[in-house]
Order: sequence, then C-alpha cells, then structure tokens
Amino acid sequence: MTTQTQAARPSAVTADRLRSSAAALRRRASRLKIVLGAVLAGIVVVPILLAGVLPLPDPLEQDLSQRRLPPFTDGHLFGTDQLGRDLLSRILHGGQVSLTIGVLAVLVSGVVGVIAGAAAGYYGRSVDAVVSRLLEAQMSVPLLLLLLLVVALFGPSITVITLVIAFAQWPEPARLTRAMVLVEREKPYVAAARVLGLRRAAVLLRHVVPNIINQVVVVMLLLLAQAVLLESALSFLGAGVERPHPTWGRIISDGQGYITTSWWLVTLTGLVIVLLVVGVNLLGDGLRDRVSRSRAAKGESR
Amino acid sequence: MARYLALRVAQSLLTVFLIVSTVFVLVRLAPGDPAAAIGGPTATTEDLQAIRDELGLVGSVPQQYWHFITGLVQGDLGLSYSFRQPALDVVLERLPYTITLAGAAILLTALIAIPLGIFTARRANSGWDVGANIGTIAGQSMPEFWTGIMLLTLLAVVVPVFPASGFTSWSGLVLPAVTIALLQIALISRLVHREMAGNLAAPYVTVARSRGVAERALTWRYAFANSSIPVVTALGTRFAAMLNGVVVVEVVFAWPGIGSLVVRALETRDYPLIQATVLVTSLLAIGVQLLVDLLYPLFDPRVRVGKAVSR
Repeated sequence: MTTQTQAARPSAVTADRLRSSAAALRRRASRLKIVLGAVLAGIVVVPILLAGVLPLPDPLEQDLSQRRLPPFTDGHLFGTDQLGRDLLSRILHGGQVSLTIGVLAVLVSGVVGVIAGAAAGYYGRSVDAVVSRLLEAQMSVPLLLLLLLVVALFGPSITVITLVIAFAQWPEPARLTRAMVLVEREKPYVAAARVLGLRRAAVLLRHVVPNIINQVVVVMLLLLAQAVLLESALSFLGAGVERPHPTWGRIISDGQGYITTSWWLVTLTGLVIVLLVVGVNLLGDGLRDRVSRSRAAKGESR
Repeated sequence: MARYLALRVAQSLLTVFLIVSTVFVLVRLAPGDPAAAIGGPTATTEDLQAIRDELGLVGSVPQQYWHFITGLVQGDLGLSYSFRQPALDVVLERLPYTITLAGAAILLTALIAIPLGIFTARRANSGWDVGANIGTIAGQSMPEFWTGIMLLTLLAVVVPVFPASGFTSWSGLVLPAVTIALLQIALISRLVHREMAGNLAAPYVTVARSRGVAERALTWRYAFANSSIPVVTALGTRFAAMLNGVVVVEVVFAWPGIGSLVVRALETRDYPLIQATVLVTSLLAIGVQLLVDLLYPLFDPRVRVGKAVSR
C-alpha cells in the first residue's frame, strides 16, 4: 500500500526521453562504431589469416594465357593481373605482409613510445626536455622522404620497413602517455607509494603505467590503421618489400597503367585497403570513446 | 613577444640541426659502400674514389661532418648523379610546383573543414554529429594514391572534365588538390568540431546566451574566436604531414614537383638528390610552422602582450 503511492507519482524523465538523451546517443554511436568496425575489419582480416588454407591459386603463379581476366571468370573471383596471377590470392598474401609489418611496427612504436612518454612525464626536467624536443622536431618535418631515404640506403626488407614505420609512429603513444602520466603523478596514490618506500621507477612501472595502459592500447588500433596506410604508400612509391612478395601498394602502382582496360586491379585492391582501415579505425575510435567514458564516469580526468 | 620569437626561432634551428645530423648519420650507417652502389660493377678504383669525394665520404667522421655542415650553409648539397647538376638546383626547380599544390590543398581544406566542423559542432549529439563522425573516420582511412587514381579515372578518363596529368593548365591543379584535401578535411574538421563543441558548451557561452547575445555572434565572436588558435596551430603542424600526401599524389598525377622527382631518384639510387629533397622539404615545413607561430598575435592578443598561451 505505502509503496504504491511512490510509484504512482509521475516522473518527468520517461523511458523515451532517456533513450533520446545525449549520453544514450553517444553510447549508441560508440556501439555502432565498434560493431561496424569489427565487422568490416573482420571481413578483410579473417580471409587474410586463412589465405594459406583457402583453395586459392598460388599468388606468384603466372599464366600468360590468362592475363587480365575480369572478376568472376575461370574461378578467379577478383580476376587476374597483367601476368595472369590470381588477384584475390595476391591481395590476401599482400595483406599478410601488410598486417605483419603493421602489427610489429605498432608493437615496437608502442613500447618505445610508452617508455619515452612515461619517463618524460614522470621524471620531467631534462628527460622531458630531450623527449619533447625530439617529438617536436619529428612532427615538424615531412617524414615520408626521410623514410624513403632510409629504405633506399638499408634495403627494402621487412625488418627495415617495420622499423621505419615504428619510427614514424612513436610520437603518438609517447605524447599520449606523457600527457596522462603528468596528470597521474600528482595523484595521492603516487605520494602514498613513495611514502611506503617504493623507489620512483617502481612506482612508475607498477602503479602509474598500469593505470594508463588501457587508453594507450586502444590508441594502438588507430596506429595500426595508419601503419597499414603508410606501408601501402611506401610500396606504392617503390619502397615496399622486395619482389616477388605481393604488396598492396605495388599491386596498385602496377595496375595504374591498366586502369582504363582492367579497372579491377586498382579498384578492388584499394577497396580491400579501405575496408580494413575503415574497420580498424572505427573499432579503435569506438573503443576509445568507451574507455574515456568509463574513466570519466569514475570521476577521473580524461 | 621578443622572448617568444627568440624561443621559437631557436627551436626551429634545433630541429634543422637534428634533421641534418640524422641524414648525415644515416648515410654513414648504411650497409655496403654507397659509392660502389652508385658506380655499379664497371666502376674502377679511381671512379669509386671520385664518387666518395663527391659524397663527402673522405677523412675522419668529424671532418666529414664539418665538411657536410659547411657545404650545407653554402647551399652545396652535392651533385645529383642522374641529372649531372647540383642536387639543390634540381630540387629548387621543382619546388614551386609542390608549393602550389600544397597551397591549393591547404586553402581548400580550410575553406571546407572549418565550416563543416562548425556546422556539426552546433548540432552536437544529433544524427548529424554521428554521421559526420563516421564520415570523417572513413575520410581518413582512404590511401591518397588510391583516391587519386579513382578520381583521375572517373573525372579525367571516363568523363573527361579535367586534364589527366601534369601541369598544362590551372585546371590540372583541381584533381590533385582535391585528393590531398579529402584526407586533410577529415582530420581538420574533426578538430574544429571538438574545439567548437567544447567552447559552445563552456560556461562563458551560456552566460552570454542568457544575456541575449545572438546565436550567430555566439558561434563566431565567442566560440570560434577561441577555437581559432588550436585550429591555426593544427593547420601549421599538419603542413608537414600534408607534404607526405603531396609527394604521393604528385606521383599519381605526374605532377612535376618534388614527389615525382624522389621516385625517380629512388630508382636510380641518386642519394644526394634524395638527401636534398629531405632537407629542402624539412626546411619548408619548419619555415611554414614558424610563420604560423609568428602569426599568433593576429589571432590572440594574449600573445601580443607576451603572456604564455597554454596549448
């Protein structure tokens, strides 16, 4: 009886209003981005991972009688290229090269960036000055030409290209980590840990870094998307992994000459890159929204 | 103001020094003998010695470094092998084309990205907002060389509206500039959106609104005036990254600038030429950024009186 009087009181906040509130919209938007991103990236990544198992022709097998067949002919789903090689097989195997380089580059740049950024933010003074000047210097020059020079000098091996991309990307995690550590080091738990007798390096590694690593890891997905784009741009310009490895950039640069007669070479390869990169970017962006919202909900600064 | 200026100039000089030294170290760390790579299998010992002389690979490392630096100051960046001319001259000849293309692209970016960002920021938390968000993510996910070829095929081959390649008339500038701008618009409009949305939701705007200031004035004189500094900064810093796109797009459209030059230099292993393009484009980007920073007082009176602006 008594509980009923409370329930009968009409509230101005209806379920309808809650659904159309800004917070709900943002939550739906990030969920949409995560689902859409995962699906798009999955469409590309799963076949790439399975490229060795799928019943596909060898990516290097030439058949000059089967040159530039349009898609859906003779069992070539994506058609063939100017040397009669199966395009789908080449794209998937090229994807393995791109993803390998991308993932390795992001791991290297992530580790280097987090270490440099955390040290700069935590120790400040001269460490911060050195790291910050390096970041500024690197971000104020067009790196692509320098990367091309390095590949020209050291040769286009997977290792060199991975390191070159990692070098191009370390400022991103470094800046982010530095900014977050600057906020984090002022918090009471850092002072408490110091009072309890932990050394500064131990506080940084065991308490500060674990608190911020979530957000950095999410940004790594966005870096992976950039790494894939950079790798394809390098190989488009002729600084990709050596032949006979198929790479996305080279398939497109070789196909550019045939664009009027064989549209599929450039178009389909490019669409695969776009699908993958859009997917990874959406996924990363959606996850970043979610992580920063959960931090904000906990009352922490973003 | 003088202090700020001196600090910025010193910073730029430090960056130039770091880049120059990086290039110097890289060339010397490279495996194998660059002279042998350039000279080829038919080179005699005298040839190789001449090439080493030319590359400045003679003497102790500090000596080489001194030689390298003094050469740079005098504008000597070595001889380009494929052109048989000073590398600097070859690069400078191409530079105006690259600057034209980059300038057109950045103008286009500013003209579209700023209104677009403001438009979506004023409709924060609506379908427009989400749509623009996803749209800009898609926009920054497309490789420029691919969008370039696609635009080229559609608008120069299938429907011949624009010239396909090179720089024969001003209309040849349209497609490459649009290709570069597409990516930049996606990036800059996101930034404009974030800044504007933050400022429009700030208490000072609410106060002004409650005092009866018109929405148009709130948008432009209040929120945009405060968003312009980070946006101009971003346009300045993006310039360096945008040059990367310019290099790639030049190759697609056979634009006679530095990008197509570099690809040729790469094929012929013309190290002095690649080195010259690295240094010249770096100087260009550093110069543009310095210029942008020196323009701050026009946008923000706080800089004029010498107070630090937190960025």
